[in-house]
Amino acid sequence: MNRRELFSNFRPVWVPDEPIASCGSELYPNAVLQTHDGRSVRFYDDLLKGKQVVINMMYANCESLCSTVTSSLVKVHDALKARMGRDLHMYSISIKPEEDTPAALKSFAEMHNALLPGWTFLTGDAYDIDTIRFRLFRMNHIKLDTDLNSHTAMLRIINETTNTWTCVPPLASLYTVLQHISWADPPKSLEERLEDNKRLQQQIDKEVRQYGYRKIV
Amino acid sequence: MTPVADPCQPDAASAAPAAPTAGSSRYFVVLAGRSGVFYDMGGPAFPMVIKVTGGHAQVEAVGIYAASGRPAFGPVPAAVYREFMKESRRASDVVLRLEIDAAQYERSARILRTWDRRAREGALLYPEIAMDNILLAKQVTEGLNQCKEHLTLYTLDWGLEDQISEATPPSTIPFKYFKELRRLNESRHVPDASFPARHY
Repeated sequence: MNRRELFSNFRPVWVPDEPIASCGSELYPNAVLQTHDGRSVRFYDDLLKGKQVVINMMYANCESLCSTVTSSLVKVHDALKARMGRDLHMYSISIKPEEDTPAALKSFAEMHNALLPGWTFLTGDAYDIDTIRFRLFRMNHIKLDTDLNSHTAMLRIINETTNTWTCVPPLASLYTVLQHISWADPPKSLEERLEDNKRLQQQIDKEVRQYGYRKIV
Repeated sequence: MTPVADPCQPDAASAAPAAPTAGSSRYFVVLAGRSGVFYDMGGPAFPMVIKVTGGHAQVEAVGIYAASGRPAFGPVPAAVYREFMKESRRASDVVLRLEIDAAQYERSARILRTWDRRAREGALLYPEIAMDNILLAKQVTEGLNQCKEHLTLYTLDWGLEDQISEATPPSTIPFKYFKELRRLNESRHVPDASFPARHY
């Protein structure tokens, strides 16, 4: 028995049977937004409740990093396409809702090959978008929070069911973004974790045989 | 997604005379604050906009005020804002009164009404009301200069040059910000004698 197997066989002292309750609509605005295909949806009830989501802010006429970020998100979507629209969703919310009609967002999505299952572009009333932006992306620094040019700096990842929040810069490596998204995945059963550990140990053993030490994993 | 009106022109609705005397309307923005009221040395601090038509003054004020000795954020009760209708000689008070045009009045009133709505709907942007109040103060004062330079602004940006935010807790930033704006705009300040709503 190696060290990994030894520790893997201990059941953790505390494993939550029930996830910690989400703050629900007390925290998340339940504003009505419009999707890129013209549907009206409620932000909490329809988009967040019971889901794991990846959210970014953008606008269609953005000439800075929005295109690069959207291209990165296309790669993220491709890597997770088996889950997209099922237990994982992506939302791109316009920070310039006065300019971004559903049609403008659809056109932006088409231009970036981002009209993909499980990925929704959203616009709405400026009042509601501001509320959502501050609730999800606030840094408690007025200068940064009011600077719309800093909107590309963060992807917010939320699993509403387990009340898990994390964030990652969208221009981080694909591996890093996927890793952060996985941190908000639903908790795995002991059997699944043992299986994961077994797989990981096999990769480590392979590297040690090949290089003489643990190199990448 | 509503069409954006020119922010430098007054709304058609507000610009249209509501009464034959509407042409004589005068508009003011008042930045009012007091320190040393709350446990953290903060106090009421709020912007208000005033439209004076004939002998009638329409006042809207939103910000932090004292409710049972504690700070509260929202529409300021008349009893509180009336205390700032006249200038105080106390160092713990600050009042800066500026006469503005109809477009500036509309922009400022729109900002106040949005924050009023946020307070009523529980949709404030920060968990700490002192931060909401700083943002409100910044939006109103910076909005006055949106179309032309109307007042000399202090740059409240948490940068190296910004001594106020560097050395002041959030609860007293609006008070110190208003004090500094008063100092920078002393010549633009409307004194009691020229302020038609002083008896309101």
